[in-house]
Amino acid sequence: MSFEVDIRKTVRSERRSFELRVQFRTRARRTVIFGPSGAGKSLTLQAIAGLLTPDAGRIAFGGEVLFDAAAQVDLPARRRDFGYLFQDYALFPKLNVRQNIAFALQPGLRNPSAHAGGDAVEKWLRAFELAEVASQRPDELSGGQRQRTALARALVHSPRALLLDEPFSALDPELRQRMRQELDDLLQRIDIPVLMITHDPDDLDRFGDEALYLRDGRIAERPLAPGAMPSRRTTVA
Amino acid sequence: MNHPHPRRELGAALLAAAIATFSFAANAADLTVSAAASLTNAFKELGPAFEAQNPGTTVVFNFASSDALLAQIAKGAPADVFASADQDAMDKADAQKVLAAGTRRNFVGNTLVMIVPSDSTLGLKGPADLAKLEVKRVAIGNPASVPVGRYTRGALEAAKLWGTVEPKAVMAQSVRQALDYVARGETEAGFVYATDAGIMKDKVKVVATIPTETSVTYPIAAVAGSPNPDAARKFLDFVLTPAAQAVLARYGFGKP
Amino acid sequence: MDASVWITLALTLKVAGCATVINLVLGVAVGWLLARRRFIGREFLDAVLTLPMVLPPTVLGYYLLVVIGKRGWLGAWLQNTFGINLIFTWQGAVLAATIVAFPLVLKSARTAFELVDPQLERAARVLGLNEWQVFFRVTVPMAWPGILAGTLLVFARSLGEFGATLMVAGSIPGRTQTLSVAVYEAVQAGEDNVASFLVAITSITCIVVLLASGRLAPTVRAR
Repeated sequence: MSFEVDIRKTVRSERRSFELRVQFRTRARRTVIFGPSGAGKSLTLQAIAGLLTPDAGRIAFGGEVLFDAAAQVDLPARRRDFGYLFQDYALFPKLNVRQNIAFALQPGLRNPSAHAGGDAVEKWLRAFELAEVASQRPDELSGGQRQRTALARALVHSPRALLLDEPFSALDPELRQRMRQELDDLLQRIDIPVLMITHDPDDLDRFGDEALYLRDGRIAERPLAPGAMPSRRTTVA
Repeated sequence: MNHPHPRRELGAALLAAAIATFSFAANAADLTVSAAASLTNAFKELGPAFEAQNPGTTVVFNFASSDALLAQIAKGAPADVFASADQDAMDKADAQKVLAAGTRRNFVGNTLVMIVPSDSTLGLKGPADLAKLEVKRVAIGNPASVPVGRYTRGALEAAKLWGTVEPKAVMAQSVRQALDYVARGETEAGFVYATDAGIMKDKVKVVATIPTETSVTYPIAAVAGSPNPDAARKFLDFVLTPAAQAVLARYGFGKP
Repeated sequence: MDASVWITLALTLKVAGCATVINLVLGVAVGWLLARRRFIGREFLDAVLTLPMVLPPTVLGYYLLVVIGKRGWLGAWLQNTFGINLIFTWQGAVLAATIVAFPLVLKSARTAFELVDPQLERAARVLGLNEWQVFFRVTVPMAWPGILAGTLLVFARSLGEFGATLMVAGSIPGRTQTLSVAVYEAVQAGEDNVASFLVAITSITCIVVLLASGRLAPTVRAR
């Protein structure tokens, strides 16, 4: 299962303009795109997921073309069959844990009921030890519980790959190590390709079977020296 | 060194403006005349004539249906003169004791007519034709609050036509609104005074004069306890002078 | 007091109810469009659609009368094509109330949609929902308190609509005489008892509706 990405996208805001020009191909089981804030990591991941349309280029996964500007192919996000973990989890605040997890399995225009069940939902509730808080809403959960809920929600419909946007940055430092271990164990069990973006070197060590370095909207040739990574981006010329 | 206080000066200026605005209403030389809607055009011409004869007095008019005007007066509106389109409204005023004793008198007469839009092709000739299917809506003043509606109902009841016409009735708030409905073509026919039909000669045409059980005479009286009783009495005398009566006659009003 | 008061109340609720339902659908649709789509003249369109809120109702009533009356361009067309005349009908009253109250739900809906976190909609998309599902399962529920508040304002405004309604629909007991018009007529005719009774009925109706709708959007729990 490989990701092939070759895209260009210009993003304009009031004060600046940012150009993303990313090319890479990876066959690894676990790929990490590593770079400082503002490098364009989220944009890249959203483009792969179908949440953002590049200006030009091509995206393919496992040989299937998801996006091709020249051929006018643009598969919408709902047909790309990826699981996506957002940086702040984007849990639905008015739905409880159970409903959030069951969300993708519910067809039609109504949300899952508060007692939504089913084998897949129960399996993930148990796997992530969320059974006890199943009726609670996201604002009543701890950071770790929220992350697990978001993961369960992303995995419940058995996606073919997992896209993770800075999965641990919203957690306390002490929690991060434990959650890394949990994710590692999980990935051993479910064994689907993973593409993670992060600015944390510890994530890179743990999950970076293949490492890509993104800086100023471009993939760099070689990794930067340790400690040379500024944590805040200044305006791009 | 004097420091100007802009905020205080602004506040004083605003206060002065507010007082000036509100005290406008208390001008002692204003004569307020509440008159039935059908008198609108004629009285507007009489106003300046009265002012010319009584320098220092400004006449302020308030036109609406007679009952509506009475409702205002009964609740203390500061009118000096009340001119109504039928005896009924004035009787009600008398019963509520809002009239100055001995000032009530009749000053003009009018006629009830049936009108149609000037481009009407239905060939209506009188109230009996209102039973036709093509007549869907008839503009009538609301009998509960408009004298012309009372005259109309009385006349139609006497002719045994009220039962046929009432389901098609569109109640107007005043005789002028009834006139407007017909002028716009929103109703196929309507009942107004001859004087009103004369105002919109190009938009409506009179097809019948309707005899009423009691003749249409307009009473006028001074309001009890009003701000300007002397000017009120002068106005009452004024409307009966030959000059004023000639103006009223020009608009189609008859002798009382 | 005769039974006609209840007929008047039923008619008023019918007119206000229809105007509210129409405005809910229109307000949500147009509000979403203004919140989410960029196009030339967007703010100008918003201003034009908000105009009924600043125009006096009698002015609106006059414009309506001129446009949909028998001699108006739209009214003549309706008459010739469908044989429909809206003047002096309860449907005309619904039209007047709808136009007068529309800006109230438009403003609320647009703001409510603008405040919905787009990240939640992206999450829904990547979980497999199509755009209609995203709209009804994520966007609308998140915007709902604002939309509901706007809808309530529309209902209250429609219930009390007078100026434009009187001009367009007239005052025909049982057919277009709504509670507000009936109160006006009672005062004009000097029937204070009737007026007071009608005012009381209107007030009680409004309070009942406000309380009932409070259950549709429970207030946010304090943390």
